[in-house]
Order: sequence, then C-alpha cells, then structure tokens
Amino acid sequence: MADPSEAKGEGSLRKAFGGVLGVFILLLIGTLAFSIRLFSVIKYESVIHEFDPYFNYRVTQFLTKNGIYDFWNWFDDRTWYPLGRVIGGTVYPGLTLTAGSIWWLLNNLNIPLSVETVCVFTAPIFSANAAWATYLLTKEVKGTGAGLTAAALLAMVPSYISRSVAGSYDNEAVAIFALIFTFYLYIKTLNTGSLFYATLNALSYFYMVCSWGGYTFIINLIPMHVLLCIVTGRYSSRLYIAYAPLVVLGTLLASLVPVVGFNAVMTSEHFASFLVFIILHVVAFVYYIKGILSPKMFKVAMTLVVTIGIAVCSAVLAILIALVASSPTKGWSGRSLSLLDPTYASKYIPIIASVSEHQPPTWPSYFMDINVLAFLVPAGIVACFLPLSDASSFVILYIATSVYFSGVMVRLMLVLAPAACIMSGIALSEAFDAFTRSIKFQLPKLFEASPSDAGDTNRGTQDEPTKVDNNTPTEKTEATVKERPSEKHRKKEKKKLEKGKEIKEKGKENADKVSNKPLNAKKLLVLPLEASAVAILLLIILGAFYVVHCVWAAAEAYSAPSIVLTSHSHDGLHVFDDFREAYAWLKHNTDVDDKVASWWDYGYQTTAMANRTVIVDNNTWNNTHIATVGTAMSSPEKPAWDIFNSLDVKYVLVVFGGLVGYSSDDINKFLWMVRIGGGVFPHIREPDYLRDGQYRIDAHATPTMLNCLMYKLSYYRFVETDGKGFDRVRGTEIGKKHFRLTHFEEVFTTHHWMVRIYKLKSPKNRIRGKSKKKTNPKTTSKINSNKNVKKNPWQ
Amino acid sequence: METQRRRVAEEMAISIQITAVLLLLITGGAAGRSADDLVAELKSLRSQSPSGVIHLDDRLVSSFLTSVGTPRPYSLLIFFDANQLRSKAELRLPHLHSEFSLLSASFAAHHKDDASSSRIFFCDVEFEESQQSFDLFGVSSVPHVRLVPASTRSLRDSIPMDQSEFSRGAESMAEFLESKTKISLGGAILRPPRVSLRQVLFLLAAILISAPFLIRRILDGDTLIHDQRLWMSLALFVYFFGVSGTMHNIIHNMPMVLPDRNNPDRLIFFYQGSGMQLGAEGFAIGFLYMVVGLVLAFVTHLLVRFRSISAQRGFMLVGMLLAYWAVSKVIYLDNWKTGYSIHSFRPKSWW
Repeated sequence: MADPSEAKGEGSLRKAFGGVLGVFILLLIGTLAFSIRLFSVIKYESVIHEFDPYFNYRVTQFLTKNGIYDFWNWFDDRTWYPLGRVIGGTVYPGLTLTAGSIWWLLNNLNIPLSVETVCVFTAPIFSANAAWATYLLTKEVKGTGAGLTAAALLAMVPSYISRSVAGSYDNEAVAIFALIFTFYLYIKTLNTGSLFYATLNALSYFYMVCSWGGYTFIINLIPMHVLLCIVTGRYSSRLYIAYAPLVVLGTLLASLVPVVGFNAVMTSEHFASFLVFIILHVVAFVYYIKGILSPKMFKVAMTLVVTIGIAVCSAVLAILIALVASSPTKGWSGRSLSLLDPTYASKYIPIIASVSEHQPPTWPSYFMDINVLAFLVPAGIVACFLPLSDASSFVILYIATSVYFSGVMVRLMLVLAPAACIMSGIALSEAFDAFTRSIKFQLPKLFEASPSDAGDTNRGTQDEPTKVDNNTPTEKTEATVKERPSEKHRKKEKKKLEKGKEIKEKGKENADKVSNKPLNAKKLLVLPLEASAVAILLLIILGAFYVVHCVWAAAEAYSAPSIVLTSHSHDGLHVFDDFREAYAWLKHNTDVDDKVASWWDYGYQTTAMANRTVIVDNNTWNNTHIATVGTAMSSPEKPAWDIFNSLDVKYVLVVFGGLVGYSSDDINKFLWMVRIGGGVFPHIREPDYLRDGQYRIDAHATPTMLNCLMYKLSYYRFVETDGKGFDRVRGTEIGKKHFRLTHFEEVFTTHHWMVRIYKLKSPKNRIRGKSKKKTNPKTTSKINSNKNVKKNPWQ
Repeated sequence: METQRRRVAEEMAISIQITAVLLLLITGGAAGRSADDLVAELKSLRSQSPSGVIHLDDRLVSSFLTSVGTPRPYSLLIFFDANQLRSKAELRLPHLHSEFSLLSASFAAHHKDDASSSRIFFCDVEFEESQQSFDLFGVSSVPHVRLVPASTRSLRDSIPMDQSEFSRGAESMAEFLESKTKISLGGAILRPPRVSLRQVLFLLAAILISAPFLIRRILDGDTLIHDQRLWMSLALFVYFFGVSGTMHNIIHNMPMVLPDRNNPDRLIFFYQGSGMQLGAEGFAIGFLYMVVGLVLAFVTHLLVRFRSISAQRGFMLVGMLLAYWAVSKVIYLDNWKTGYSIHSFRPKSWW
C-alpha cells in the first residue's frame, strides 16, 4: 500500500499539477454551463420567460422593494379575486430570497443591476453551481476523473437546460443545485463520519425545502438508502451520523418554512424518514449490545431486543396507519399519489392531468432530454456494483427511483438528469480509463521492439509487474482509497486490526480478486491496442454527438421565451409580440382596480405585466374558482355575463391563435375548461361540446359549442380577416361566421389577433345601446375593414 | 350480399313483429299479463345471475319490450355484446361487460328491497343468438349500451350511451344512468377488493410466522438480498422499464402493435409522432438503449480480464459494431419519429 519513497517527490508534483488542471477544467465547465444557457438572451432579449417565472419575478420585485418582513406577511389582493392569496405563506421562498440577496449584494457593491436582470441570470449561475456540485458528488463516489466527466455532462444536459435557460426564473433552477449538493453532503458524511458535514447537510436540506416541493424526493430517498444499507448489512456508525442529524435538524428546519410548516411531521411523505429513524436506532442499539456482550450472552439479548423492537415498530406502524387512514387522500397529496399510482391523476384530478408536463414520457423524450446518456447509464450502473460501496449504492438507488418517477411524469426528467449524468460520467471515465491504460502501456513497446504476434505482447506485459501494481488504478486500490478515510476517523485502532478488518469488509465482494492477486498482478488489465484506439474514437464521436445535440437543443428547442414568439417563413423572420402588447394595453387603458378574467394560464403574466387583478392564476390551489371561470367560458353569453359580473370582472381576455397558427391557444385548451368546469358544475357536460366524440369547431360543431362564450370571443369578427373564417390551427373554416355579441364588446385586439380583450357591457348600456348604435365606434371599424386597408381596427 | 342479408333480416324482423302483434291479438295473454307479473318475472330472472344482469334473447326482448304497452313499469339498460368480437382487444368488450356487471351488482347492493330496484333492470344481448333484437334497436356496432326508458314506444328511439360515457367504466355508466332516469345509484360502485379478507389474513399469518426466520437470516447476512447480482439486475431492469416508456403504455393502455389500416395483413410496430408510442416499440428502443451500455460495461470490466488477446479483439470488434448499430438506429428512429433534424452550428466559411 505504501508509496515508494523515491517516487514521492514526483508524485506530489503530479498531484499539484493535476489539482491546478482540475480547477481550470471546473472553471471551464462553469463557463460552459453558464454560456450555453444564453441562447435565449442572444436570440430574443433579456426577458423573463413563460408563466410561473413572472410570478417569481413579481415576488422578487416586492421583496426588493419592501424588505423581507413585508414579504413574509404579504397578502396579495391582485389575484384570486375576491379571495386573494397569502403569498408569504404559500410560496417556496428559496429562489426569491436567493435572487433578492444577489441583487442586494450587487447593489451594495455599487453594481446597479435591475431586479429583472438578476432574475434572468439566476438560473444560468446556479446551473454552474450545480455542475460543480455534481463534480463533488461523483468524486465522492468514483474519484476525480468520473467527477469531472459527470460535471461536464451535467453542464449541458438538455433536460436541465430546458428549466434553466436565462430568463427561466423558476424554482427548479436553484432546486437542482440544492438537490445535488444535499446528496453530496450526505455522501460526504457517510464517507467521513464527520458531524460537521452532517450539520451542513441539514442546512443544505433546509435550502432545498425552501426552494422546491421536490424536497420530498430527498427525504424519501435518503431513508430508503439507509434502510437498504441496514438490510444488506452495511450498518456503521458513519451511517448513523449521516442520517440521524439530518432527520432531527432537517425536520426542525423544514417546519420553519411557512409553506411546509407542520406538514413536515404530519403528512405521509415524511413518515418514511421517521420510521427509518426508529429502525436505525434499534439497529444501532443491537450493534452496541453486540459490542459489549459475549457471543452467547448476545444471542439471548438478541431475542429480547428483536421481540421488543418488533413490538415497538408494529405499534408505531399501527398508529401511523390509523392516522393515515383517517384522512381522505390517505395523507398523500394528489401529486405524490399520482406518482405512486400512476393512473390516479388521470382518473380523479383533471387539473393535474391537464398539465402537459404531468404526462408520462415516451422514449423519444428520453432521447431528447438525456440523449446519449441513455446509452451510457447501464454501464455506469454496472460500474457502481464493482465494487459496491455505501456511496455507489446511493447513486444506484438514486438512478433507479428517479428513472421510475420520470417514467410517470415527464416533468421529473429533471430529477433523472443529474443521476444520468453521474452514471454516464462514471461509465465514460471507467471506459476511458481502460482504453487509455491499454494504449499507455502498450504504445511504448510498439516502438521498442516490433511485436508482430499476440504472444509477444503478452510476454511484454509480464516483464514489468511492479510498475503495473503501482500505476494502474484497478478497482481494488480505488476501493481502498474510498474506505480508508472513514476508517481513520472512526476510532484509533491498531493498524493491524484495521487492515484485517478492511480485508474482511471487502472480503466478500473481492474475494476472488484478493486471492488471485499474485496471478492478477502478472496480467495487466489491458485490451488490444488498436481496438482500444478505435473504441476511444467511437466514444469521442458519441460525446461529440452529445455536444451537438445539447447545443442544438439549447439553441432551437428550449430557448423560446413563449412570451415573444418568432416564426421563420420564406419571406424572413416574423416576431409575434402580441402578449406584451395586450398586457401593456391593459396597463395603460384600464383602471388600476379593474378585474380581468382569463383562463388560469395567463394569470401570473397579467398580474406581473399589466398589474391588474385576476380571478384565477397558475397557482391552481382553488379548483372551484377555476371551475367557475371554466363554466363561464363554456356557457352562452348571458349566463357567462352573469358569472363574470358576480365576480366584478370588467374585462375578459382570450388567447386566439387561429389567424397566425399559434396552436396553444384557448380554443385548444377549451376542452379542459369544460372538463374542469363540469367537474364542479354538472350542467356543463363534455359530450355536449363534442360531435360524435370529436372536438370540432367547423360547420359540424354542436350548437352548444357554437354558442359558448369561448367560441364567440375567439371568432368574433374573424370572418372579416379573409372573408371565409379559415382557422389555421384547426385547419378548417369555422362553423358560425357572422354573429353579434350581446353582452360583451370588443375593446382591443392585438396585431396578430393573438390576444383579444373584451369588456363586459353594463346592463344599462345594453338597453340604450340600440338607439345609440350610430355613435358606436364599432361602425367606424366596420367601414375600415370594408375598405380592406388593414383587417385589424386597432392599427 | 351484405345488404341482401340485411334485408332478409329486416323482413324477418318485420314478420316477427307481425307475429308478435298477431300473438298479442290472438292470445291477449301478453297484454293481459299485468305489470306486476312482468316485474316479478324480471326479478326472478335477475336473481338467477350472480351480478344481476339479465341475459335477454329475441323472445325475452319481445315479451318484455315490444309486446308491452307503454309506459312500461320499468326501464332497461341493455348492453350489446358479441361473442365473436370479444377477442378484439381494441373493443374491450370483456372489460366493459364486467364494468357493466359491476354497475348492476352495485345497484342491487344499494337498493336491496326499495322501490327503485324494480324500476330499472340491467340486461345484456348477444349478437349471434339475437340478431333480430339488434335490428330492432338499430344497433350496428359494439360496444354499445342503450337505455330503454319506460315511456319509449319504438326501440329505435331508446337512448344510446355515448362512447365517452361508457369508456371510463362503471362510474361513468352510473352517471349516465342517473342523468337519464333520475334513479340514483345510491352510493359508490362496489368494486371487489383485489385481495380478499381471507387472503389478507393468510398473508399476515405467513409474514408473522416467517418473520423470525427472516430476521435471523438478515442478521446473519446470507439472504437473497445480500446477493449483488440480484440488485444489479433489478437496477438495470428498473432502468429498462423507465426508458422504454412502459409507464406511458400502462397509463394510456397502449397496445403492443397496431394493425395497418391500409394493409390489414401488416402490423405497425412504430408509430410516427412523438406524443405516443406502442408497446413493442418502447421495448425495442429500451433494448437498444441497454445494449450499448451493457457492451461498454462488459468491455471495461470483464473483457480486460480475458487472457486471450484474439478473443479480446474479436469481442471488441463485435461489441463496437453492435454499439454503433444501436446508436445509429436510435438516432435514425428518433429523427423519423419526432421530425427533428439535429444540426450543428458552425461558421459559414467552413463549408
């Protein structure tokens, strides 16, 4: 085991050089992770993306303006009118606080960045952090080489890019970093048995709880691993130190987050950790007794302890089951239930099933999101079993659970991505190790002598067995490196004992290796030279394909902010900036207290960009409220007007893509409005909107469909655009072309007709309206359109 | 040919109707049978079947529906079944029929002895033995469920249940029933538990008895769970299960293969379009995903220990060819399925 003393100087120099190189590579990886996410800024502009980020942005603005205490107590009356929403208590504050502190720090350093800029670039910064955390985690499992490879892979894995491009200011951006870092600290504690890292681990877990609801993954995965270790006979005091403080401190800290609160001890998601906590103590007690008793006495005591342990466990279990069974959803939240029973959501919760990212993925999604990593992971899994350590068993468990969960919901691909990167990093690193080793030890001999046949090479390898033993990192030596620090920290035992124990611990798995050692030492673990060279070339091509794919995905697939749309056609680039046009119109032309109704997708954007009160938004906490809006949209004009009027709504906003072919518009989402509305108000029935089970808006559509508010608001005056009313999304002419609105009036339609805003007519005006028709601005617009100068009256 | 048969069938139906009318006129018995008799007869028929679904044939259809003057004292919910089509998986006839039976059994359980139990009866009709009844109702395709309300005179006017209404199982059939007949089911659908009470008790006893032995073996450290190969194959299997999109197939009930519409002899294994996949397709790609990784693992961990250099060379050649083929196949299929064309970004001056 001891290094030869003469090689020590050279070794330390090499080590220092390796360290510097490693840091340099890590810096480059960080730069790569940051810069690959800037496509959205380069191609579009520095703007917040999509829906949820707008809410986070608004909260951050509030935080920076009013301070932390006001933020904590913030009751938002701009949303969910008339209910409002307690923001401080219902939001995961991690992201907001992170971006807020970055902004505060920069401002105190006299770097005056706007809040928006900080928010836009938070996600890329944290992906660099995540890459570094991946390095640390993988290094703990399989050494530096694997760590660097995994970090490089994670820096550009498409699945993570999709959630962390510049402008995608969402919880996942910081949460993935927190997730990997928590796992790293857990493994670090497990390898060292240090309480310092255990405390850090609890703090990191706290940050994760602050950031994302996905923290339940951690608090279930780590207990599972602990249980696995116990069951497979891998219990050690390090395991105890790694787990017990995490549960105690972690749970206490988690309950400090308002949105979690007592859920940290009351819901079933957390029960597994407590159960394992108890089991761990029982097992620790058994090991303790075993240490102080003679084997015979121990056998007697064992029976006693096992009986008591089982009794206590079953009692606790019974209490838990009774508690859980008394709640209607058995204590599990809908989203977690749909993970365990995948068919649950599609059966019972349309609002979860309606979100496209909650659908189960097909195989192309895997290829799109983790690309060639999908090929490499099996090799990584196998590598982790040779030999199996505490750390490698954890990553195996991580990949197995995350791949199952990602199979249920495409959204959880995000959790799979780091695991896939770690596994592929290990696989690639081991493969490169084997191939480069083969070249390194056989290439010199190619020049020395001219070995023509196989036998010659074989003899050549047998010439220098000592060199082999020192330099080739076979699995055995690596395993020793892994086990040693932990042993050191435990107790000061005599060296002899330690060595004996070491062999005993590894004995089972490498029994053949140890016994074959003299034989193995003679045989260098190499492959044929030319085959290794070709294999390296193939691996490099595979890696190059991965890079090309990731850059393409970052540039083409995941960079669209979805608030500004572009399309390429033969006559150049078209930019559709209708959403911001509409929100700006609302902001400048309506009263500050006016209420705007729209489908919930546009709630966050309306409050953030137009600063107007909305009825429902993307935080879908109140199903009834959403169903009310859905019902209004599915009803004829008069009942819809009644519903909206009862909610004090003044403006109704619909998104319509029929003119430009924007497919995720309200007409395409309409069936979900019907379903969700019908879930609460039974007079809305889905079959009424379907002709023979088919959803259509052409001449064969049902009368209910043609008379509902959504149809009317979307297609009002649509026929004036081309004379036929051809819907480019549905690819058909609309069924009812000429109609008037009785209870609503059009007040604004954007450039490409993508957003249309209507005002509720007040009942008095409706009566007088008939006589005053001449002065109605609508007539002038009609003249305009007749002239056919421009179809849109608002230009 | 088909039309001819149909016409014949129609004529037969008419003649049967005529004979029914004649019978009615001649005997007067059918008309004379009181409503109570009919209900009692239906009830006795119902009690003969365990789920409470009455099996109707042409004779019973005429005696309970066509030959009874309206309003009848009962409504019938009829499931149209066809034995010859039961093997067709996409029609899901056996499944729907069992759902229908569940509905019937639940209804019977909730209305043991009250009045509404005699207001609605659940029946099924089989195509081969009662083709005339199918014609009477104008049913030309299965699966089909029809409600014959008490006041309906012509059977063709009875209310068909929409595809969407019965495809979601017994619950949606119950909704349909409640909305059309105003007879409430009176509770939830009573599904039989997956494991019966006796099985639960047996399992519990087995666990209790085996627990001491298991614990002892776990403490000794020699069980199946200490075998690493088991864990490895389990982990690899879970990975395979995930990446092949099996969850998608389970949740969406995807079939393994689809018959080709243009050419009935051929089967479609791969579905174009990224939102959906077929079962066999997923497994094939999952296999390709796995094979590359396993080859790599084999080469880096096992092959290096081989003594014979020529064997190493041979295995590596085969392995590399296999891996290359698998990767290129997946890339090709992915481009074909999703329609994406992945390209690199390079300076224009390069070429």
